[in-house]
Amino acid sequence: MSCDKPSTPEPLATPDVSGPLRFQMRIPSDPRLLAVVRCTVSELAAIRGFADDQCQSIALAVDEAHSNIIRHAYKDRFDQEIEIGFRAEGDYLEFTLVDHGEPIDRSKYCGQPLDGIALGGRGTHLIRQIMDEVCYERTSEENRLRLRKYLAAGTSKG
Amino acid sequence: MKTSTRELPGTTIVDVSGDIDMSVSPGFRRILMESLSKTPRLAVNLSNVRYVDSSGIASLVEVLQAARKAEKRLVLFGLNAPVQEVLQLTRLAKIFEIRKTEKEAIEAS
Repeated sequence: MSCDKPSTPEPLATPDVSGPLRFQMRIPSDPRLLAVVRCTVSELAAIRGFADDQCQSIALAVDEAHSNIIRHAYKDRFDQEIEIGFRAEGDYLEFTLVDHGEPIDRSKYCGQPLDGIALGGRGTHLIRQIMDEVCYERTSEENRLRLRKYLAAGTSKG
Repeated sequence: MKTSTRELPGTTIVDVSGDIDMSVSPGFRRILMESLSKTPRLAVNLSNVRYVDSSGIASLVEVLQAARKAEKRLVLFGLNAPVQEVLQLTRLAKIFEIRKTEKEAIEAS
């Protein structure tokens, strides 16, 4: 009896860690999924090369945007659809959140001064503090919010 | 998120663990308000809180407003870096009474 000598397995090809990366998810507007999205966002940011504290901050920004959709666009309806897209190219990552809810007051994302200990507006303030670019647009019946963060230090915020 | 409550002479301590986001912040607020109604000083232990968003901060602000109105005290302690960062970014770090440890929170005059 003879046995074939096992061949040395070929090493698996590994993707270029600095190359483009895309990811997309469609989820219901259920607040129980906020934590799931945070974990995903944090991991995607880490894959892209952001430091741990930055990953947490980016997760916070996306979480705030996600919460705003549930609360304001969908008026706390938990059975609507939210689309969250991720794109990493060059020296940045970008999250796009799309919903089909009520139009949002554009000024909420344009930055408002915080007034004492008033409760409103702190979520969007956090988003603008953390992300380098925040772009909101309303197209037909969609709200589309794009959040971009640059990897390089020293990039000015939008 | 999980909470538990301990009663000490003159102070009630609410120990909080986990994440505080929009899905749990109404319950978080309710628990703190209930505890505040029964004590002259409420100390909130945040040392095991991994994450808090603006809704969690808003709940703390509401409890602080209720405490001030009732001439009671609210003390936060054990804040880790992510919680401190959110308070700093929302410019609310200075409105709260914050201590590092439980001992300091209880003994704060």
